[in-house]
Amino acid sequence: MSTLSSRRDFVARSGTMVGGAWLAVHLPAIEAAARHARRALGRHAPFGVIYFMDKALGTFGAQFLQPIRGGLPDLLKAARAKNPAVRGFAELSFEQQTDVLRGMEQTPFFGAVRFLTVAGMFGDPSYGGNQDRIGWQLIGFDGGHAHQPPFGYYDANQR
Amino acid sequence: MPTSGKAGSAPAGGVRFQTRSEVDFVVVGSGAAGGVLAKELSSAGFSVVVLEQGPYLRPGDFRHDEVGGFFNFDLLPKPNEFPSTFRQTEQDEATVQAFPPSVLYAKLVGGSSVHFTANYWRFRPTDFVERSRIGAIEGTGFADWPIPYADLEPYYTKVDWEVGVSGAPGFGEPPRSRPYPIPPLPVKSSGVLLERAALKLGLHPSPAPMAILSRPHNNRASCIHCGFCMFFGCEVGAKSSSLASMIPVAEATGRCEIRPEATVFRIETNTAGRVTQVLYWDKDGREQAQRARAVVLSANGAETARLLLLSESSRFPGGLANSSGKVGKYLMLNGYCTAYGYFEHPLNEYKSVQVTRVVMDYYDTDPARGCYGGGGIDARFDTYPVMFGLGGLPGDAPQWGPEYKRMLAEYYTHTMAVAGHSTSLPLESNSISLDPNVRDKYGRPALRLTYKDHPDDLKILRFFQDRCKELLDAAGARRVWANPVQEQNVAVHLLGTCRMGDHPAESVVDKYHRAHDVRNLFICDGSSFVTSGRGQPTMTIQALAFRAADHIIQFARRGEI
Repeated sequence: MSTLSSRRDFVARSGTMVGGAWLAVHLPAIEAAARHARRALGRHAPFGVIYFMDKALGTFGAQFLQPIRGGLPDLLKAARAKNPAVRGFAELSFEQQTDVLRGMEQTPFFGAVRFLTVAGMFGDPSYGGNQDRIGWQLIGFDGGHAHQPPFGYYDANQR
Repeated sequence: MPTSGKAGSAPAGGVRFQTRSEVDFVVVGSGAAGGVLAKELSSAGFSVVVLEQGPYLRPGDFRHDEVGGFFNFDLLPKPNEFPSTFRQTEQDEATVQAFPPSVLYAKLVGGSSVHFTANYWRFRPTDFVERSRIGAIEGTGFADWPIPYADLEPYYTKVDWEVGVSGAPGFGEPPRSRPYPIPPLPVKSSGVLLERAALKLGLHPSPAPMAILSRPHNNRASCIHCGFCMFFGCEVGAKSSSLASMIPVAEATGRCEIRPEATVFRIETNTAGRVTQVLYWDKDGREQAQRARAVVLSANGAETARLLLLSESSRFPGGLANSSGKVGKYLMLNGYCTAYGYFEHPLNEYKSVQVTRVVMDYYDTDPARGCYGGGGIDARFDTYPVMFGLGGLPGDAPQWGPEYKRMLAEYYTHTMAVAGHSTSLPLESNSISLDPNVRDKYGRPALRLTYKDHPDDLKILRFFQDRCKELLDAAGARRVWANPVQEQNVAVHLLGTCRMGDHPAESVVDKYHRAHDVRNLFICDGSSFVTSGRGQPTMTIQALAFRAADHIIQFARRGEI
């Protein structure tokens, strides 16, 4: 189940980047794959990664379009090999999805999705991902504009 | 500072020179060297036009945007417009490298000094006379500098005070005629841990000299510890880039025009072999020609070499000022290695400047190591969140999934690095040259990097990586990891390509940075280096620039240009 409110909502919000329509059609598969890559401890809050991906693929990340497009049929094929009844990757169980992705780890498709997911999780929120700085909160990055000493445990506790 | 409405354009109200009027000096490049030279020459009363290919950005234009900085090449030449190629040796075919590009520098007013880490290490007296002390190294261009440390010292001191360097005297530091103008920046956890480790091992940790203001200085604001120094512009002007420290002073003289988005493609000479004008494409892509009585070339060690090679003529068939054949050759990159450590408690190294402590015990060449070379060690952390997510965890960590997520959360604020910075020997086969096949968007031959580390360079780098791991262990790291030292294929420190020397057959410029072949052409930037030093070349580039300016001014006043 997509964590975004609706496919229409995504198309409306994404503007006319790479072809919001194209991405929206493939949204469930890509988002499910991305969810594996960004699944936080017990948190299911939306990172907004898919918005980041859309923006990225339309601009500086254009070189990832081909590997992602090229890899989606393979993803579907691998998904159907797990369970012939599914219409897409997103319909597999979590464990089955993990297995499929593990099998594709070395592919350019996986590399492209991973790169865009990580950049979407931890990049500036103005790109659409890392919503409400949730990615930065995960790793303890303050994201503030200025700091003052002491900065960390060891400089705070010098003898 | 004067401002204008549009980022990238020159300030309103500054002096404007006509291209057809002959200014005293054209300075090509507004980076570490160009900024200093522009400021010194205009302050001495000369008219100066600075031609800078990049845009004129302001502190307010700089963002903490890691995606923009690293993946959208915000401050860099765009690789699809300005490709560069790489090969290891002349026997190989060079291929285009897109990410990262083969030659990496910042393209804007201020040059790479806008995005540097701001480590400012002086060379030591031994750096200038290593060949005399150690002897020749076969198969290399290993040579002494034509000047001793003592000649450069007053200018290092000018850099300290006028550019703005914070620090305190440390172990093995060379003699200085004045103290540091401002104290060291506050120590970070990485610095405390390095100090503890170094003392435990019988070494001598020191505060890191940094071109970042720890206190207000020269009417500039001090550091706010935001953490975005390396690879980013400083939005408060506390990092002492040429943009923050030199360019405004140059403009305030009323005799210096900064002309951004001006891509120089040729330096013209007359039948007497003197430079007469500098050709460039303006921001609209139109050809322009600025006349000048003399030219100072400070475009960085790659672009300076390319420009000379492109300025060939019947008088200079191998490239302007290249009767020696050494333009572009003897390229030295310095060595760089890191080891990482994970600690029990949070360090929060993402805050504040990248480096606060250094260890210089291994600076000099030690014959017992069985190779030429030495260097310095610093404690740092320069991995921003996206980069950490992509590759900041130890090599055996999962790259996706719940355990990957858990480790990111655990490691990011608990990790630091210890980095080694080392020497590179000058090899004639290591070079910047014109690619015969690939062209840039203007049709110029692309920059071609030919580079293979000398075996001694790799040996000393591995030595340093071992020392870095040793220090992290001694600091009490719970886990230490490092990526193996590899041969380099990305050029950041662009050194040696128009080396200084007394002999025209063996060098491109004399000890005053005057081209041996061209009386009114001066070349001063990283290309001037004879040896690579131990990393952090910008301090020495600027000291050389202050010294070059001093002599150029004297020559000009005596009518000797």
